[in-house]
Amino acid sequence: MSTSAIAAGSEFADGGHHDHGHHDHGDHGDGHHGHLKLQYQPGLPLSRGKLIMWLFLSTEIMFFAALLGSYVVLRFGALQWPKPHHVHLSEPIGAFNTFVLICSSVTVVLALEAAKANKASLAKTWMMLTLALGSLFLGVKGYEYQAKFSHGIYPVKPMGLVHEKPDLYYGSAVRARLSDPMILEKIAELDGMSETDLNAEEIAGRKSLAEVKRLVNDPAQEAFDLAVVADQIMPLPAEAGSHGGSHGLNDTFAWLRLPVVIPGGNMWASTYFLLTGFHAVHVAVGLLVFAILLTYQLGPATAGMIENAGLYWHFVDLVWIFLFPLLYLF
Amino acid sequence: MRNRLAGLFWSLLFLAVPVLGVAVFAVAPSIDVWLPKDVSAHGKEIDSLFYFILALTGVVFIVTEMLLFWFIWKYDVAARGEEKATYIHGSHTLEVIWTIIPAVVMLFLAIYQMNAWADVKMRRPVMKPTVEVVARQFEWRLRYPGPDEELGTPDDLFLVNDLHVPVDEDVLVQLKSMDVLHSFFLPNLRIKQDAVPGMKIPVWFKATETGQYDLVCAELCGWGHYKMKGRITIESREDFDAWLEQKYREQEATQPNPQEDML
Amino acid sequence: MSTVTHPGPGDTTTVAPAGSAKPRPIAEFLSTYVFSKDHKVIGLQFLFSTLVWFLIGGLLALAVRWQVAWPWSDVPVLGKLFAQEGGQMSPEFYTMLFTMHATVMIFLVIIPILAGAFGNFLIPLMIGADDMAFPTLNMLSYWFMWPAFLAFGASFFVEGGAASSGWTSYPPLTTNPAASPGSGMGQTLWLIGLTFVGVSSMLGSVNYMTTIILMRAPGMTMFRLPMTIWAMFITALLQAFALPVLTAAGFMQLFDRSIGTGFFSPEGSIINNEMTGAGGGQPLLWQHLFWFYSHPAVYIMILPAMGMVSDIMTCFARKPLFGYRPMIYSVAGIAGLGFIVWGHHMFISGMNPALGMTFMVSTMMIALPSAVKTFNWLGTLWGGRIQFTTAMLFSISFVSMFIIGGLSGIFMAATPVDIFIHDTYFIVAHFHYVLFAGTAMGVWAGIYFWFPKMFGRTMNEFWGKVHFFLTFIFLNGTFFTMHILGAVGFPRRLADAYHYETFHHLQPMNAFMTYCAIGMVACQVIFAANFFWSMFYGPRAGRNPWNANGLEWTAPSPPGHGNFDVQPIVYRGPYEYSVPGCEKDHLMQTDPPLETAVAAAH
Ligand code: HEA
Ligand code: HEA
Ligand code: CUA
Ligand SMILES: [Cu+2]
Repeated sequence: MSTSAIAAGSEFADGGHHDHGHHDHGDHGDGHHGHLKLQYQPGLPLSRGKLIMWLFLSTEIMFFAALLGSYVVLRFGALQWPKPHHVHLSEPIGAFNTFVLICSSVTVVLALEAAKANKASLAKTWMMLTLALGSLFLGVKGYEYQAKFSHGIYPVKPMGLVHEKPDLYYGSAVRARLSDPMILEKIAELDGMSETDLNAEEIAGRKSLAEVKRLVNDPAQEAFDLAVVADQIMPLPAEAGSHGGSHGLNDTFAWLRLPVVIPGGNMWASTYFLLTGFHAVHVAVGLLVFAILLTYQLGPATAGMIENAGLYWHFVDLVWIFLFPLLYLF
Repeated sequence: MRNRLAGLFWSLLFLAVPVLGVAVFAVAPSIDVWLPKDVSAHGKEIDSLFYFILALTGVVFIVTEMLLFWFIWKYDVAARGEEKATYIHGSHTLEVIWTIIPAVVMLFLAIYQMNAWADVKMRRPVMKPTVEVVARQFEWRLRYPGPDEELGTPDDLFLVNDLHVPVDEDVLVQLKSMDVLHSFFLPNLRIKQDAVPGMKIPVWFKATETGQYDLVCAELCGWGHYKMKGRITIESREDFDAWLEQKYREQEATQPNPQEDML
Repeated sequence: MSTVTHPGPGDTTTVAPAGSAKPRPIAEFLSTYVFSKDHKVIGLQFLFSTLVWFLIGGLLALAVRWQVAWPWSDVPVLGKLFAQEGGQMSPEFYTMLFTMHATVMIFLVIIPILAGAFGNFLIPLMIGADDMAFPTLNMLSYWFMWPAFLAFGASFFVEGGAASSGWTSYPPLTTNPAASPGSGMGQTLWLIGLTFVGVSSMLGSVNYMTTIILMRAPGMTMFRLPMTIWAMFITALLQAFALPVLTAAGFMQLFDRSIGTGFFSPEGSIINNEMTGAGGGQPLLWQHLFWFYSHPAVYIMILPAMGMVSDIMTCFARKPLFGYRPMIYSVAGIAGLGFIVWGHHMFISGMNPALGMTFMVSTMMIALPSAVKTFNWLGTLWGGRIQFTTAMLFSISFVSMFIIGGLSGIFMAATPVDIFIHDTYFIVAHFHYVLFAGTAMGVWAGIYFWFPKMFGRTMNEFWGKVHFFLTFIFLNGTFFTMHILGAVGFPRRLADAYHYETFHHLQPMNAFMTYCAIGMVACQVIFAANFFWSMFYGPRAGRNPWNANGLEWTAPSPPGHGNFDVQPIVYRGPYEYSVPGCEKDHLMQTDPPLETAVAAAH
């Protein structure tokens, strides 16, 4: 194929133009091709950069529309869907993050205004603040992810501890975990401690752990027993309690990591991590762009770039404004 | 003056399109390469719709292709002499006409066929399922409700690939899939329905003639898709009952607990 | 011939980087022909790559045809390549063949040849721009095809073979490697390849739109644009809005496969006697997302061809396009309606039948803009002075064949009829008529027509006509008969259908079709020879060998860097052929207004 391209190219040479050796034209389309400078009749009063940014954002809108649409379809097609506190979602944290992101949208506008007014250092400060706020958002997101992971909610199969219902598979998964030598050792250690070394919660926990062990190993066990087991390991109260309904064995003894039952939990995890994950990737890209911008002199000359980056950032913000209520509130 | 022969040659080539096109469709039924025999109550409707659309599109096809032929025949540069091409940018009236007429035709067609669609896919007869069909790679697992007429009870009858239904009666199939997508296709009954894992889809029909026909899997389901073949036997009520009876006895004799591998 | 060249006095000195007055030859070669940012070079890169894949796709089609005609017989020549059991194919190999045939043809041939090759080459030239708005982005859009080429190419050689679940890639077959041999690494590579094609198209489409909106020559109003450009513009719009949905869906399928999410796998399935684990997802969701893209995609695969055919036809009928504005509105109408008809691929998928009814109505409506286009093409031929050049023959056959393909669409849009013909060869006939007999014919028309602009030489007309004649005959022999196979209910995607009583008697017909298909691929040798020979030895073409009107014909053949040596100024639409009172039978878009022209002539 490349030989053909060469041939094609040699034909160009025949065409008789004499401009070899300058292929380093800037990309921002100022039509400075070194030869005849063509005039155009633009159809819109927009710069090329801004127009292509808007067009790019419309493709992004469709991308997230597809993800959100899938979420809605999967959620309303699901037999069960966990309540936010079943999956350790905290509305206040989500709301805080929303606030952070909105602030960052404001600061990026301020950075643009400052740059337009040719106040480079002020612009830089606002830009830095935007970067900081964006990073804070990602940090909080990471903290939230950690909270899910620590409860065994993963989007990834082998690590996830979530079962949909307390069935036979669940029973055997709990049994398997409880016969892991490392866990056995820990349990033995726990059993060996005197009550004085333990707090009230741990004492109660020790009892219920013994009960769980008995129930899962009982050959005559019934589905009902497994529901009890699930409730001991991670209760799912109807209302969000002070502890977010998460005070079970797995919380008392963090090393236990017993399988838990969250009806609809796997699909919830799939969609939650899908949506927030792609959003976070977009945030990260935005941060990268800001970091690159910070290496420039932020004046009127760069205002166009700042504006485009800002447009993108508002879009990322907007997506979150949709995600937050959908994921946390409904 | 250019060579008129070239123009004639190419025009005739394009004339061959409608001529041979119609010929193929005219000859096909006589060499038995045509709609397979229909033995269902609703199939007539589908077939007549097919013929209706065939006639309609046939007319459009012939007219447009003939016009195409005629124009290139007539307006060949070699036939035009010194005459210039007509300088015309279009015609508002014509545009309106050839938008409105097809619009009316298409709208009519859309509304006209709704009834047939509703018959096959929406007006489900009120009855208990005659049989449950569970598709899996690469066979059709059938489950008849047995004497108590309830599916999912211990007297269910289990079979593979050998579907029997009574003639002249409504038949309601409950279609499921165990693994991937399949499609339950009965060419002679004009029935096709995908089987989707996680869904229970009702399929109904009424056979009008006894006989044995193919049951085809029409949705790609893996390497063995091509051989996922079943048979449908349409028989009288008596024969059907007798057949059920006999199969049931066979099952009792050979498989004490057939549900086990059915889940 | 490019007699007038722009002198560009300061060129080499001003732009060459300081200190490297004489760039090293290899670096220069790379930046001129390989990593070129010139839209023409990029267009040709797309053209050559897609032609190579076209050949591969055609050979895959032949292997498919071989199996359909003579199942389980030894495949000659090609059989040696995958020599299992002495050149006989296995059923999973067959499924892989048609999957990759379709994938190659759609994602590596038709889409990139229309938007990538013709879009790139023609857009700046036809609107009077020196290049795309963002040349680097444009270059990237080509280079993003390479990961896709490699992924699809490599997938043939991985364990389990390339993807083999149809080009529609329906889960759960594709999400569960246990379900099918090709659902292993091959499917993953398929999804990766698809994503790269998507990125490439996205980069291209936003660039095209920006270029068309902002970089038209003075006087080139939107309603003076040639149909090709309108079609490219609306196609780019379709891509920008439809493709991200497929990309999103592709990621979801990739996650289902690789990390165990369950978007498309339902609860409690058992595949190969194994529980598939927790699901809760919906197989139909993929179909909705896939067709939300892929239905508009079928128009992405034909609108540019429609545009090119309109331009070529007016040129060789020496007549203005009949109904220029209705033609534009109908392209827009097809694109708009194209977004609300996707459900017609899912009539019997288990989707709510009431929904099927609404999709049926919208599908019927999409025939209207197509009708407008067809009648306007006929109107364009009427009263013309038709020159039977190769490009014109291909254009006429585009119209003739599109009618067939479009009309068969009506059968399938009729839901009750679709119950019977869905997933039969009727569908296969339909889309080969629109895609191969339609679009590919349009592409050939475009190649013969713009070849002089691309390479400065014209292709051989005689051999061009032989190529046309043979392709036309063989393609109808292959695909027309598929309609009646479909009427029998002959299912598609079946490695061997003859063990069914209903289809047993169709083997001889299939054999006939395979002979035609072999002929069809074989006669492309004529095309390839003509193409390469003409590139080097064809008669030199002047700037405007066809006496056409568009701006591209005012530039040298081939145009130099920057395209134009005179600022193009546009005075009229692109279809002013046979204007009364004008001595020439055509008025180029840049010719000064008629009064002055006439005055000057006297
Ligand atoms: C370029 C590609 C292209 C184009 C342009 C079209 C155009 C159309 N297609 Fe096609 N289609 C495909 C490519 C294309 N299709 C592909 C690839 C598939 C299969 C995918 C797969 O399953 O693998 C498919 C499948 C497909 C299906 C699904 C079938 C099934 O799986 O069961 C349907 C159903 O409605 C359909 C309908 C139509 C219709 C109504 C049009 C209309 O746009 C056609 C309109 C044109 C005309 C009607 C002709 C001209 C008009 C006149 C001459 C006027 C007068 C006419 C009348 C009054 C009737 N197509
Ligand atoms: C653009 C799309 C396109 C094109 C062009 C083709 C072209 C062809 N197709 Fe394809 N086909 C599809 C898209 C396409 N197909 C799709 C989407 C499917 C569905 C798959 C699925 O079910 O998932 C399908 C399925 C399909 C089947 C059904 C398989 C089955 O369901 O079991 C068959 C069977 O006959 C077939 C045959 C052919 C043939 C004989 C050609 C011939 O026309 C091929 C002719 C090829 C050439 C003529 C090559 C020309 C080469 C050059 C011009 C190169 C010259 C080189 C240089 C100058 C360098 N195709
Ligand atoms: Cu089952 Cu195909
Ligand atoms: Cu479609």
